[in-house]
Amino acid sequence: MQTASPGNRPYLLLLPAAILLIVFMAIPYLNILVTSFRNPGQGTPYADGYTLMNYARIFSSPLYQGQLFNTLWIGIVTTFATLVIGLPVAFQLGRADLRWRGLAYGIVLSPLLVGIVIRSYGWTILLGNNGVINRTLINLGLTEYPLPLMYNSLGIIIALVHVFLPFMILPIMSAVQSIDPAVVSAARSLGAGRATVIRRILLPLAMPGIQAGCILVFVLSLSAYVTPAMIGGLRVKTMAVTVVDALLDTFQWPLGAALALMLSAIGAVIVMIFARATRMKWKVG
Amino acid sequence: MTKVTIRNLTKIYGQAIKAVDSISLEIPSGEFVSLLGPSGCGKTTTLKMLAGFESVTSGSIAFDGDDVVAVPPEGRDIGMVFQNYALFPHMTVRGNLAFGLEMRKVPKAEMQRRIDATLDLVQLGPYADRYPRQLSGGQQQRVAIGRALVIEPRILLLDEPLANLDAKLREEMRVFIRDLQRRVGITTVYVTHDQAEAMTMSDRVVVMFGGKIAQQAPPSDIYDYPVSREVAGFVGQVNFIDGFVASVDGDLACIETPFGPAEVPAKTRGRGSAVTLALRPEAIDIVPDTAGHGIPATVVSSYFSGAILDYTLAMADGTKVDVKTIARTRFEPGAQVRLSVDAHRFWPIEAA
Ligand SMILES: Nc1ncnc2c1ncn2[C@@H]1O[C@H](COP(=O)(O)OP(=O)(O)O)[C@@H](O)[C@H]1O
Ligand SMILES: [Mg+2]
Repeated sequence: MQTASPGNRPYLLLLPAAILLIVFMAIPYLNILVTSFRNPGQGTPYADGYTLMNYARIFSSPLYQGQLFNTLWIGIVTTFATLVIGLPVAFQLGRADLRWRGLAYGIVLSPLLVGIVIRSYGWTILLGNNGVINRTLINLGLTEYPLPLMYNSLGIIIALVHVFLPFMILPIMSAVQSIDPAVVSAARSLGAGRATVIRRILLPLAMPGIQAGCILVFVLSLSAYVTPAMIGGLRVKTMAVTVVDALLDTFQWPLGAALALMLSAIGAVIVMIFARATRMKWKVG
Repeated sequence: MTKVTIRNLTKIYGQAIKAVDSISLEIPSGEFVSLLGPSGCGKTTTLKMLAGFESVTSGSIAFDGDDVVAVPPEGRDIGMVFQNYALFPHMTVRGNLAFGLEMRKVPKAEMQRRIDATLDLVQLGPYADRYPRQLSGGQQQRVAIGRALVIEPRILLLDEPLANLDAKLREEMRVFIRDLQRRVGITTVYVTHDQAEAMTMSDRVVVMFGGKIAQQAPPSDIYDYPVSREVAGFVGQVNFIDGFVASVDGDLACIETPFGPAEVPAKTRGRGSAVTLALRPEAIDIVPDTAGHGIPATVVSSYFSGAILDYTLAMADGTKVDVKTIARTRFEPGAQVRLSVDAHRFWPIEAA
């Protein structure tokens, strides 16, 4: 459907958004790009002159490569886990005959109402060696020693899944809600049972939401700082944590910029590959 | 082909909403039946119960004598066409047609053959690889019909399938669907609130009001011999004319009316009792005042609508009468004219 164009210069309406985007996105990114090629400084953020050394350091350092790989791994596993947990929830919440829709919305959104620091702190209380989960398991006699749930990737993933679940559920839910119930009726009258309807009709039609949710959670996981910092501690560092260290602690802005760009670039490539693989021909062109 | 038998079918939503109220209907194999009635009279609910999408409160539905009330939709072998088409947006035209055949595990070669034949039938051959959103409304409609027919269902159900099309296309599709149904010979139930649609397409029209069947008959009988004011009014414009029984002679009664005597089938009412007669506007002719015969009347309004002129006239006693005529002489409002009536077109409705 075509919406009426305001006057004969509709692109003028894009101007404010374009200016905002340039000022707050393009310029900072350019700045980071330039910084990543600067010489490291002594006691200053950076020194005069330009170099490829920062990138060379990353490519020759197993530590940084390991962190990069681990960050991507955490992102992928978190995305997959939120999808597995969120999909059935979203399908239930998206049903046309859902009662208490307001309440359901509230429950899904409620984690977002509590600040991310508080939520992450909550997880440290649950996951620690003396935490609620381990105490319970030990008291029940299910384990003798506390399970390693904190200061590792598993703990980070558990907390991230909780934090980002709404970002998976909401887009899928809205995609499911927009499916015409008559389409489901049509499939059933053509001989499809409930399972077939889910597999052949609902899942493909919810794909735009699934795609959006996965990209959202993946990107958020890659750039997450607070949760990995609090739960990973000094033991496990994701790229975002290392970047912040480089910027604030060790005062190596060029290296931090290069690391940040590497992460963004690899993340963008993965998102592009994913979007391409899940492209929906019936939607585009 | 399949015979459908509906007995005392009732649907109550919640505690008290009687959407369908004990309807009984026998649809012979291969017949095209329309459910006609105003919005909210229970047409869609009836269709949904036939398809199995809605549970039955009481009563029975049988296909060829087998009760299907407990059979889920996927087991009923029904072709259904929805008002908004309900095509699968993520499948091409071919994919939409293939779906039902895949559910039936039809072998590949046979599937191709049937899809191609159906694409021909609904004239969509060149569009086989398009997605629904790349098609016009009329084309989407034909995909929906093709998808329902390709599975060679026992019964075809259509719920206001033409409501979303523009007037010209709607008339084309009426003929298209009717021809198709004749060729395939499938038992068809067609839901509509458009009386012209029901009249032109159906073997039989079932008029519904408030969840009940008011009358079921062939289209011309519904039009000429309506059982009630409501039915008469719903299937076209009508004049209600009051008269009284002048004499009864066997099966025929002679009714005295302002238009002169009318002979109609006698009901069990004696001489002198009041009767209301229905008279269609096109059963009345307008002649110039100078003709010297006919009942005097004054033109109140006249509208030109293409094929016909649409008049409202006032009789001497003030009664308003609607007249439709194909004559091209136009009488202006205020003109004195005379009305001549085809006396065979009177039909008794009910006592006044
Ligand atoms: N799911 C439902 N719940 C409650 N009432 C309904 C439902 N569906 C239909 N009705 C009511 O049943 C009556 C018949 O509806 P419907 O069969 O859709 O009418 P039609 O198709 O003739 O317009 C209407 O009064 C409608 O409001
Ligand atoms: Mg309806």
